[in-house]
Amino acid sequence: MFIMVFLAKRLAQGTLIVVLVAFVIFTLLRVVPGDPVRLMAGGMAPETLIEQIATEMGLRDPIPVQFGRYIASVAQGDLGQSFMRPASGAAVGGASFDDMTRSERARVLDLIAEAAPKTLQLALLAMVFALIVAVPIGVAGGLHPGRWPDRMALYLGSVFVSLPNFWLGIVLALLLSVKLGWLPAIGYRGFAYTVLPAIVLAVEMAPFIIRTLTVSVAQIMRQSFIDIARIRGLSRLQIIVRHALKNASVPLLNLLGVQFSMLLGGVLVVEFIFDYPGLGLLTINAVLQRDFPLIQGIAIVTSAAFVLINIAVDLATTAIDPRLEY
Amino acid sequence: MTGDSLLSVQNLCVDLNTSAGSTAILRDISFEIATRQIVGVIGASGSGKTVLARALASWLSPPLGISAGRILFQGRDLVADAGLAKRLSGREIAYVGGNPAGALDPTMTVGTQIVEKLRAVRPGISVTDARKRAIELLSAVRIPAAHQRFHEYPFQYSGGMMQRAMIVDALISDPALLIADNITQPLDVTIAAQILKLLRELANEFDTGVLFVCSSLPVACDASDRVMVLHGGQVVEQQPPAALVQRPRHAYTQGLIAELPRLWDETTPAPMHGDARQPIMSVRGVSRSYSVRKPGGLGKVQVQAVRQVDFDVYAGDNFGVVGESGCGKSSLMRLLTGLEQPDSGEVLFEGTNVSTSSSAELRRLRRRFQLVLQDPYGSLPPQSTIGAILEEPLKIHRIGSARERRARAAEVMNEVGLPPSLYHELPMGLSAGQRQRVNVARAMILEPRLLIMDETLSALDQTEQGKMLSLFERLQAQHGFTYIFISHDLAMVRRVCSRIAVMYLGETVEVAPNRKLFFDPAHPYSRALLSAAPTLEQRRYRPEECLLEGEPPSPIDLPPGCSFANRCPHAFDRCRLESPRLRSSGEGALSACFLHQPSSQRATTAELLR
Repeated sequence: MFIMVFLAKRLAQGTLIVVLVAFVIFTLLRVVPGDPVRLMAGGMAPETLIEQIATEMGLRDPIPVQFGRYIASVAQGDLGQSFMRPASGAAVGGASFDDMTRSERARVLDLIAEAAPKTLQLALLAMVFALIVAVPIGVAGGLHPGRWPDRMALYLGSVFVSLPNFWLGIVLALLLSVKLGWLPAIGYRGFAYTVLPAIVLAVEMAPFIIRTLTVSVAQIMRQSFIDIARIRGLSRLQIIVRHALKNASVPLLNLLGVQFSMLLGGVLVVEFIFDYPGLGLLTINAVLQRDFPLIQGIAIVTSAAFVLINIAVDLATTAIDPRLEY
Repeated sequence: MTGDSLLSVQNLCVDLNTSAGSTAILRDISFEIATRQIVGVIGASGSGKTVLARALASWLSPPLGISAGRILFQGRDLVADAGLAKRLSGREIAYVGGNPAGALDPTMTVGTQIVEKLRAVRPGISVTDARKRAIELLSAVRIPAAHQRFHEYPFQYSGGMMQRAMIVDALISDPALLIADNITQPLDVTIAAQILKLLRELANEFDTGVLFVCSSLPVACDASDRVMVLHGGQVVEQQPPAALVQRPRHAYTQGLIAELPRLWDETTPAPMHGDARQPIMSVRGVSRSYSVRKPGGLGKVQVQAVRQVDFDVYAGDNFGVVGESGCGKSSLMRLLTGLEQPDSGEVLFEGTNVSTSSSAELRRLRRRFQLVLQDPYGSLPPQSTIGAILEEPLKIHRIGSARERRARAAEVMNEVGLPPSLYHELPMGLSAGQRQRVNVARAMILEPRLLIMDETLSALDQTEQGKMLSLFERLQAQHGFTYIFISHDLAMVRRVCSRIAVMYLGETVEVAPNRKLFFDPAHPYSRALLSAAPTLEQRRYRPEECLLEGEPPSPIDLPPGCSFANRCPHAFDRCRLESPRLRSSGEGALSACFLHQPSSQRATTAELLR
C-alpha cells in the first residue's frame, strides 16, 4: 500500500520535473543567438530559402506554440528528428542545402538509444571500480578513527580528488595504451574500450565514497547500540557486518544516487578525451551544431533518468531504514 | 543470605589511568549476590555506581581498568580470565542500561534483534524456537500484542515498552546474573513502578540474581533485598532496606535520608504566597492540536496535544504543572510563552492576551515573563562567554550602555551564586548546576514578573536541586517573582508550589491547593501518580489499589469519553461516553471526574452537545 502511494506520488512529481526541464531547455535554446537553419542550410544559402525552411519547420511560430507541439509529440514517444544528422551517418551541412537526402535525417530517439547504453556501461563500470577501491578503505578508516587506516583514507582521498581528470586521462592513455599497449584508448569497438575511461571516472568518484563511508561508519560505531551489542553477546564481526555497515549504507546510497545521475548525464570531458561515443559526446556535438531536437531529447531522457534513480535510491534507503518512510 | 552465592566480589579496585598517573575510582569493593536476590546500589553521581556495573559486565575500556581484587562468578574469577568473562557476557551475565532508546539498531525489528542475540550466545537454538521464546517473553513482560510488536522497529516502541524489550533481551538467554544500571531513570513514575514490580517477579521466576544500580534511595529500597551505599568509590554500608532507612550507620546515608523530601509529612507547611485575588496569568480553555502525517499512509491526522486547559496563576505565587511525559506539559509551555498560538481559548498575562499579541507586543511582554528550560547542556550557546549570554537579552531589548549591561550581568551572576571569574568563560567547563544558574540569571536579568520553569531541576541531583530551590525562594522574596514550575517531580512540587495542576493526555484533570492534592486528591489519576511516587514514607495511596496497568492511549486516536477511562480502576459506563469537565471538588479544588460530580450536573451533556 505504502509503496504504491509512494510510487504514484513520486512519478507524478517526476513527470512535472521532466516537463519543466524540457520547457526551460526549449526556451533557452530558442532565445540564445545562433540560427540552426543557417547552420543546416549552409552559409551560402539564400535568405529566402532559410526563411522558407524555418517556416516549414515551424521555427518562426511563438515559443509556447512550438513547445506545445513538441511536448505533444514527446508524450507519444516521438522525440523528433535531428536537424543535422542523417540516418546514414555522415554529417549534413555546408553546401548541401539542396541535397535530396536531407529528409532522411536521423531520429533523435535512435541517436540516444545508440549512445545511452554505452554511457550506462561506462557509468556502471566506473562505479564498480570506485566501490572496489573505496569501500575497503572507507570502512577500515571508519573502524579505526585516528589510526593509520583513517589517515590513509584521508591522504588517498586527497590525492585522488586533486588529480584533474583530463590530465589523468591523457597520462593513463599514454601509459596503458601507447607505452604498454594493454588497453585501447580511443573510440569504441568493444568492451575493452570502456575500461580506461571508467578508471579515470572511478578515481574521480572514489574520494567522495571514501569520505562518506569513513564518516558514517565512524559515526555509527560511536552509537550506543553498537557498544551495547557487545555486552549483549554479539561478536564483533556480527556487529560490524549486520549493524554498522547496514546503518552506514544509507548515506552511501544517497551519494551513489547523485554520482550515478551525474555520470548518466554524460561525462563530457572524459568522453571527449577518449572519443567515447556516449551521451556526453553526443551532447557536445549537438550543442556545437545547434541541433535543437537532439539537445532537448538528451535533456528529457537524462532528467527522466535522474528522477528514476532518485526514486530507486529513496526506496532502497527506506527499505534499509524504515524511519525514513516519507 | 538466601540461596548460595552467585557472585562474590572481593576487594575490587578500579583505576582511571591517564598520562598524569592513576586515580582510584572504586576502592576495596566487596559484596555478594545470591540467586533470586536483588542487591541495590545507590550513591550520588560520580560515586562509581556505573563503573561498578560495567566492571561486572566486563565493559570497562581504557582509561578505566581493574587494578586489584577478584570477581568470582559461580566460583570462577572473571578478572583473571578475560576470555571467560567475554564468553559469559550476554549469556550468563546480562546487562540492561538506563537508555533504552539507543540500545537497539534502529534499522532492524526488535524481534529480529532479540532472536539474533539469543542465537549469538546460544548457537544451538533454531530460529523458530528462538522466535517462539522471544514472543513468550515479550508477553511475559506484558507488552500488549507481543506477536505483532515482535515485528515492529525500535522507534515504534515507547520508552517504557523499549525498556521491557531490553529486559527481555537480557533475560532470554537465561542469565544467572542481571545487572540493571539505572533502568527506571528515564521512565515516568507509573511506568517505572510497573517495571520494578516486573523485575521482582522475573528474579523469582527465572532464578536470577540482580544488581540494581539506582540514583534514588526510595526506588532502590522499593526494589531490593539489600541496599549497598557507594560513596567516593567505597561501599560505606550495606543493609536490608528497612534497617538502612531506620538505622543508617554512615554519615552520608544519614544525610541522604534526612534530605529526602517528604510528600505526606504533616509538618511540611503548604507553601502559600502572594495574593490569591490577583491573577497574573490566566489560562482559559486553551487547546492546541498539531496535524501530522499519518504513519505509513496518506493524509494527515490531528494530535491533540493540549485540550481545554484552564487555570489561574496568582501574583507572587508558585504554581505547579505536573504530569507524565507526553501529557502536553511542554506544548502548554509553548502556548503560555506565546511561542505558539492556541487553536482556541486564550492566555492572559496581566490582562493582555498573549495569544493574539503582535510580535512587537509579544517582545515587550516577554520582558515581564521569562522561560527557563530543562536541558542545561542544549540551552546555552557553546561559543558565547557567560557574560555575552547574560547580556544578550539586554541588547535585544536595547537596555543600558555596554558598561551598564556589564555591571548588571555581574550583579545577577552574584545573585544566582556564580563566581565573577566565570564572566569571560565559555559554558563548556560548567557543571549542570552552574549551567542552570546561568539559565536562571539570563531569565531574571530583564527583571521579569513571572518565570516559567520547564523541568528546570530535573537534570540535577538531589543536593543541587535543594540548593536551587533555596535560591528560587530567596529571589522570590527579594524580587517578588511568580513561578510556574512545569515538572514530573511530585516531591519538588509538594515542597514549593501552593497550587498544582495535574495534566493527563493534554487535559488538566485536577487543579488543587497543595495540601488538598497530596492528602485528598479527587481524581483517580492524581492518586495513581501519588501511589507511584518514589518515597520512603508510608504511602497514603497503595500501589495495589491505584497503580495503572498499561500506558496512556495515543493522543491521535483519543477514545470517546474520559481519556483516562481505559486505565482507571473506577471507570463506569458514563466515563466511556462523555468527557468530564473541571468541577469543584471542595476546598478550592477542581477536578474533572464524574466520581465527584453529583448526577444533577448531568446538564453538562447538553453543554457538550452544544
